[in-house]
Amino acid sequence: LEIAMSVLEYEGSNFLRQRLILSTLSGKPVKIKKIRSSDENPGLHEFEANLLSLLDRLTNGTKIDISVTGTTLLYRPGILIGGTLDHDCNLERSIGYYLEVIICLAPFCKQAVSCTLTGITNDHADPTVDFLKGTNLPLMKLFGVGDDLELKINKRGASPGGGGEIYFHCPRVNKLRTLNFTEPGKVKNIRGVAYATRVSPQMPNRLVTSARGVLNGFIPDIYINTDHLKGAQSGKSPGFGIYLEARSTKDVILSAECNSLPKSENASVDPEELGKRAACALLEEIHSGGCVGSSSQYLAALFMALGEQDVGKVLFGPLTPYTIEFLRHIRDFLQVTFKLEAKTYSGDQMGQNIGSSKVLLTCVGVGFSNMSKTIR
Amino acid sequence: MDTDAPAKAHRVRRAGRKAEKRQKNSEDADTKQRNPKAFAIQSTNKLNRAFRRAQDVKARKHHIPVVDRTPQEPPPIVVAIVGPPKVGKTTLLNGILKNYTRQKVSEIKGPVTLVSGKHRRLTLIECNNDLTSMIDIAKVADLILLMIDASFGFEMETFEFLNICQVHGFPKVMGILTHLDSFKQQKTLKKTKKALKHRFWTELYQGAKLFYLSGMVFGEYQRTEVRNLCRFISVMKFRPLTWRSTHSYVFADRMEDITDPETLRVEPTCNRNISIYGYVRGTHLKPSTAVHIPGAGDYRLHNVSFLHDPCPLPDRGDKKQRRSLDVRERVMYAPMSGVGGIVYDKDAVYIDVDGSNNTAESQQQNVPETILKSSIIDSSKTIDSKMEESKVSLFTGDEPLSTEQAESMINMKMPEEEVVHQEDGRVRRRAVFHDNDGDGREDSGIDDSDDEDSDESDDEFYPQDEAQDADNQDEEMDMETETIEQEDEDSDEDVVEGSGLNWKIDLREKAEKAFIERQSSSVNLQRLVYGAVQEEEEESGEEGEEELRGGLFKVTSNEDETDKKRKRNNRECSRDLSKMIRDWIDDHEARESITDCFVTGNWGEGEDAKTLLDQDDEIYGDFEDLETGDVVKGNDSKTTNQNEDEKEDEIFDAHESKKDRESRMREKRMERKRKLKEAFDRNYDVDKIGGASGGGESTLFDNVKRELNEQARLNREEFENMDETTRVQYEGFRPGMYVRLELRGIPAEMVQQFEPHYPLIVGGVSSTEENMGFLRTRVKRHRWYKRILKTRDPLIVSIGWRRYQTLPMYYMEDHNLRQRMLKYTPEHMHCWALFYGPITPQGTGFLAVQSISGATPDFRISATGTVLESDCSTQLVKKLKLVGYPYKIYRNTCFIKGMFNSPLEVAKFEGASIRSVSGIRGHVKKAITNGGKEQGPSGAFRAMFEDKLLMSDVVFCRTWYPVQVPKMYIVVSNLMINKKDSWQAMKTVGQLRFEQNLKVPVNEDSLYKPIVRPEGRQFSSLVIPRALQKELPFKSKPKYLRGKNQTKHDKLMKKAVVREPKDRQIAALMNALRTMDKNKKQTKKLERKKQMAEHKKLLEKQVVKDQWRHKEAKKKIYKALAKSEKKKSKVSEE
Repeated sequence: LEIAMSVLEYEGSNFLRQRLILSTLSGKPVKIKKIRSSDENPGLHEFEANLLSLLDRLTNGTKIDISVTGTTLLYRPGILIGGTLDHDCNLERSIGYYLEVIICLAPFCKQAVSCTLTGITNDHADPTVDFLKGTNLPLMKLFGVGDDLELKINKRGASPGGGGEIYFHCPRVNKLRTLNFTEPGKVKNIRGVAYATRVSPQMPNRLVTSARGVLNGFIPDIYINTDHLKGAQSGKSPGFGIYLEARSTKDVILSAECNSLPKSENASVDPEELGKRAACALLEEIHSGGCVGSSSQYLAALFMALGEQDVGKVLFGPLTPYTIEFLRHIRDFLQVTFKLEAKTYSGDQMGQNIGSSKVLLTCVGVGFSNMSKTIR
Repeated sequence: MDTDAPAKAHRVRRAGRKAEKRQKNSEDADTKQRNPKAFAIQSTNKLNRAFRRAQDVKARKHHIPVVDRTPQEPPPIVVAIVGPPKVGKTTLLNGILKNYTRQKVSEIKGPVTLVSGKHRRLTLIECNNDLTSMIDIAKVADLILLMIDASFGFEMETFEFLNICQVHGFPKVMGILTHLDSFKQQKTLKKTKKALKHRFWTELYQGAKLFYLSGMVFGEYQRTEVRNLCRFISVMKFRPLTWRSTHSYVFADRMEDITDPETLRVEPTCNRNISIYGYVRGTHLKPSTAVHIPGAGDYRLHNVSFLHDPCPLPDRGDKKQRRSLDVRERVMYAPMSGVGGIVYDKDAVYIDVDGSNNTAESQQQNVPETILKSSIIDSSKTIDSKMEESKVSLFTGDEPLSTEQAESMINMKMPEEEVVHQEDGRVRRRAVFHDNDGDGREDSGIDDSDDEDSDESDDEFYPQDEAQDADNQDEEMDMETETIEQEDEDSDEDVVEGSGLNWKIDLREKAEKAFIERQSSSVNLQRLVYGAVQEEEEESGEEGEEELRGGLFKVTSNEDETDKKRKRNNRECSRDLSKMIRDWIDDHEARESITDCFVTGNWGEGEDAKTLLDQDDEIYGDFEDLETGDVVKGNDSKTTNQNEDEKEDEIFDAHESKKDRESRMREKRMERKRKLKEAFDRNYDVDKIGGASGGGESTLFDNVKRELNEQARLNREEFENMDETTRVQYEGFRPGMYVRLELRGIPAEMVQQFEPHYPLIVGGVSSTEENMGFLRTRVKRHRWYKRILKTRDPLIVSIGWRRYQTLPMYYMEDHNLRQRMLKYTPEHMHCWALFYGPITPQGTGFLAVQSISGATPDFRISATGTVLESDCSTQLVKKLKLVGYPYKIYRNTCFIKGMFNSPLEVAKFEGASIRSVSGIRGHVKKAITNGGKEQGPSGAFRAMFEDKLLMSDVVFCRTWYPVQVPKMYIVVSNLMINKKDSWQAMKTVGQLRFEQNLKVPVNEDSLYKPIVRPEGRQFSSLVIPRALQKELPFKSKPKYLRGKNQTKHDKLMKKAVVREPKDRQIAALMNALRTMDKNKKQTKKLERKKQMAEHKKLLEKQVVKDQWRHKEAKKKIYKALAKSEKKKSKVSEE
């Protein structure tokens, strides 16, 4: 083209995924400089290179230029093609780190994405696959991403060894639905799953008991599945954890989770403690409230911005730093500015104890359509 | 589209013709009642069919519902007057202008905007007869007045234009027949009208509107006719077109050159900065989007600002409902024609004194004026923007702030950190040259965070609503992320048990509370997220200071490293790890704060179970149980409510006056009534809300429509009461706004050669559409185009906003979706085409022309099509046959040479299927290498066949060779030249050959030559073994036909037939009969023979008899003769 495509420039390795996601969707090239330039281990790390290779396979015509030192990255996105792919995720991060990227991009591919990812399914830092399955997938469905959206956990693998495997299938969409979701409703029940790999089968039960102990004081309708895996399905490392979700009368899902640390960290946690912590985290999440959980805020914001050229409204809890950065990036890439309104208690909810103040996000979508889709 | 005022109620006629008619009709209805049998259901099938038909008819009327995105004040409707030359376009335009504005314009250049009604404005433009103009007009016009000279009939341009319209979304088209006064005879006029109308209908749709302008009066069209036409225009309804409703565009009505006059003086042909004015149309225009100007190319908007509307709709605040427009409200705005007088700019108002100054000629004269304008524009920003900036700079962190607060804060914070960093820094500086020392840093990291926590406690003292503070807080929160992560890695128990770090948790909790509190006010939130970003400036400063030592290695000074810098390289995680988790087990205050988040907690006033029950009682109230006859009283909620109210009233009485009380009571009553009504509507009146057809249950269609209406309402109301600048920030520039677009780096020719007659469009494109790729399209050569199209011949494509020349490659899809290249487009079929160009949404229509310059009597549009897919690579292939010759033949194994050049090539084709000319199939086995037993030339290989080859055989390998689609993309920049209709495109090879009088090069190999067979070759006949013959199907079995000298018995196969007894009897009987018959025939024959012989004998006898009789008769005669002669002689003698 006659005008040089304006390259957006950023610095530092943080928020790499946000930049890559938005760059791929908007088609704007991005240049990231000074990636850990003054670190002992400078440049892109193994897991980030792994992410780039995943993106390369998900797209066609993507040009990735990494400087010799690895501290500068120039990413020129191509067209999202999707299709079937298998990917070995790096063991430095869990599958969730990669799957979050795929989830954002998959609806806009040329072909429906069905991918098999192997690596760590559950670790203590990134959102686990249970979390993404329980929270982000229902959120995508609200935005009109088809019915055959599927996430299957074939094998679980705890950190550091990994060995887990998941299957993710996402249909392609042409346009996203505009969402007006401002009524969080009331929490009606709590569901969840407690899992353990390569440890005593008692562990999940102990997790459930302790979590219930905390939550029973608030609501009686609690049902937590236990999932103890053996043999080939249990990956390579011992580990356990619990994922809890609170469902509201208006189908809002707020969730929290807690996972054991890898064995090498020399910090043994007893499951009772972990269960309690997960329950507390869930209550904290309920306290934050809103229609979207704190770890899925970015996804809701992205899909709102990509929606049709209508006004969409979603009630969030307090914004997390990650979401704030994402909103800034959305403004850079998609030129969508959100209207942020603080919602304190008012009207009917006057005098109710419903946790912290909420944030109402309003935006006009860009009318993003799936450009790579084929018609016959 | 228009917000209609509530229609006046219909008044029913009580007397006269209509009343009588109604009376009669109602009587007819009575007949149905009188004679119900005649109208009873006769046949269920018939009824079924009738019902289905009715439903079909109903469903066919539905359009797919779309969200109505038209803004409150829609942009003017673009009405284009199109037609061949000398058809009366300018006359009509003048007539319309005169009809609306009562003004006469001497010379019209470019678009004219005027107010046509209380809710509608029009932008009128005349389209000249140039192909590019027609294409541009078809892209922006909402309504097209297609003028046709009736005395001449349709011209090629009309059909071309209709085809152009078709691919670009088909705006509304209204035909206008002119020159009707040239017909002298009424009959021919009538006939011509009818013929033209029907042709027009086949081109558009049956019943398309065709207007007749009967003739001219004093060089103008008749006023009544023009007025009728204008009425049609003003009631016309439009359906949104896909491309335009997804792209923003500006149809420019003014363009100014705002280049710095000094640079212009130094270099007159320098790239210009221009500003373009017009209404935003389509969708919201975002600032700094990429735009395409058809005829000029792609640019990026440098600046967009909205201006005062130069042609506003009449003020709706006016209470008086007037039917017609005031004279003052009939505004006309045509800056390029010099009409409208006042020109608004970003920060000034110009009053045009001497008309137009836009033409290329007058450009030079008006330089001083331009200088004035541009200097104003360049030097000053709006006061608003200045104010904003000043605010921003006030809160920017890295500037030394004047406020004491900020200064003290920085002073308190920085030194502590610097100490830490200095230690840290030295270690690090060494680390650049030697090994890294990670541990030290890790430790210090933790120290760092401790320091920071104490900092935060200090921060608490500062006023929290300042953006600066908020931003810092934000960053510090991120620092926390790091800290907690480290803690997490150390031990998880710390967080919860926290025996030793209790004080710290408390601090963090405070910090978090503060962070969340900041989010409790909307202003702060907005600033927290989108507020001043100061990082970049700081960074650039630091980079400058970096010094180079030893050439290769850079010395980085860690002393400068701030929190932000470290935050930049933090571990990325979507989960907020910094989040403090309270102790929900023992902290009662915390537990209390979320009790109502659960269904078990208190519900809101309106949704409380008790209130809902009460409400139900109010609605359903008292009812009588019909079975038992009991009357159930609703529990006296009303009365109790009233009682309560009264009680309340008593309480309030003391404080307020009677009037206040009454108003309060009224409000309360109204509220209650509203709620009751809502509840009633929910239960009964579902259909009415969505405006669905009355009666019956709501259908899917109605539901969708209702949802979309709701969405449209939300779109309208969400930003309604906001001030324009903030609104623009959220929405972008909404359609209907009058904007000024600033573009930089426009070639000088664009300004120098500017021609207001040519439409200037600024079309916004999304960021994806800026990228280049290959477009896969379905294309069909236009049936009126004289030639077929050749692959890789340049073609000018008009697609979306763009118009460019590219090299399409045509192909057909095989049954297995293989894309097989075609050399030419098929004559009457669709085919596919691949070409290089900007990525375009699928489903976009396009048209292709070979050339836009030069006049040709033929149809100029060569092809039309749609985009199917955009991609970054292609799968186009063509067939390639590799040929080889056997040089050694065993039984089924065979060695072949000449197909490949090296063993490597063979290796690539291992397993590929090959075939001989005689049809023997086989496949490639392995290349011949030097070490092997078998020798051969390089590239020879061993192959296996299903049968033995002959040395004379030729072996083929059929392969598919990928064809590259050439990456050529040339924007048609016809606005840059003087003669805009003669832009010279890249020529086709054929055209060049024709011009230079060159012959088509002939490849000798491609010519057919007589087949020369080697002498003396004997082809022995094919022998099929008997065993194989048995296996073969009948079709393939050799057929032996009877030769000439073979008897029937030789050929027929002898079969032993064993008959059934009955058959045998029959056969015996038949045989006997046959024998008897035979015998009979035999005897008959013999008899006949005998008879014949007898008859013969008889005949012979007869013959003998006859002969004898003849003899006797002769004898007698001769005797007599002799006697008489004797007598005579005697007499003579005597």
